[in-house]
Amino acid sequence: MQDKITKIFKAIADPTRRDIFHALVVAAVALPITQISNQFQMTRQGVTKHIKTLAEAGLVKIESQGRERYCFADPKPLKEAKKWMQFYEKFWDDAITNLDDYLDQKA
Amino acid sequence: MKDSISKEQLLLHPIGKVWSAITQADKISTWFIKADFKAQKGYQYTFTSEGENCTQITGEIKQADPYTLEYTWIVAETNVETTVKWTLQETSEGTVLLLEHTGISNYGGETAVQMFTSFSGGWDNCITGLTEYLKETVHAG
Repeated sequence: MQDKITKIFKAIADPTRRDIFHALVVAAVALPITQISNQFQMTRQGVTKHIKTLAEAGLVKIESQGRERYCFADPKPLKEAKKWMQFYEKFWDDAITNLDDYLDQKA
Repeated sequence: MKDSISKEQLLLHPIGKVWSAITQADKISTWFIKADFKAQKGYQYTFTSEGENCTQITGEIKQADPYTLEYTWIVAETNVETTVKWTLQETSEGTVLLLEHTGISNYGGETAVQMFTSFSGGWDNCITGLTEYLKETVHAG
């Protein structure tokens, strides 16, 4: 099973998926897959596939109503500022280690 | 949620040498990231990673008086301003480096999308440690 970060990376790596996700964020309401297909001039199948990848990352939620499936964006996985804290924690640790090594070399 | 990262490190080197390393462009370019940098208040600096499709970091020097260096830190494509502050203190053993990075919680929502986008563009060959960080994060699941 792929972990969360990898899924998010995979979901966001594709420009079309980024566009779809972006459109859903901007819409701020659930959009039917039919409408997304029209908007992106893609087949329903194509959109469904992209939506599925986004859903696996937790970035999109899908709800069925009658025959139509509605999608809405959930940016929460990306909103975890904690991730950025972790990123920069590591980033600055490495930077300071590099600085220390550099100073030692120049001793 | 706390909104800053603080690091403290004792460096067994004279304060002047450490100050040069964090304020002079050629030195920053050696140990950290390729830099167009001048330790002058108001200077608009640019950090450019050397790998392919790498993200730039830009900002303005807010303070550069021995031994406090402060600049804004804006990762390209995000327009989110954070602040990085370096403070040096002389001790009998050498120099204590204090690093503070504030404003990180400003990243969120769509900004995060853009940052992820820039990562997929190759931050991993840009900045030391990112690949390692990603591996660790992946393993931590």
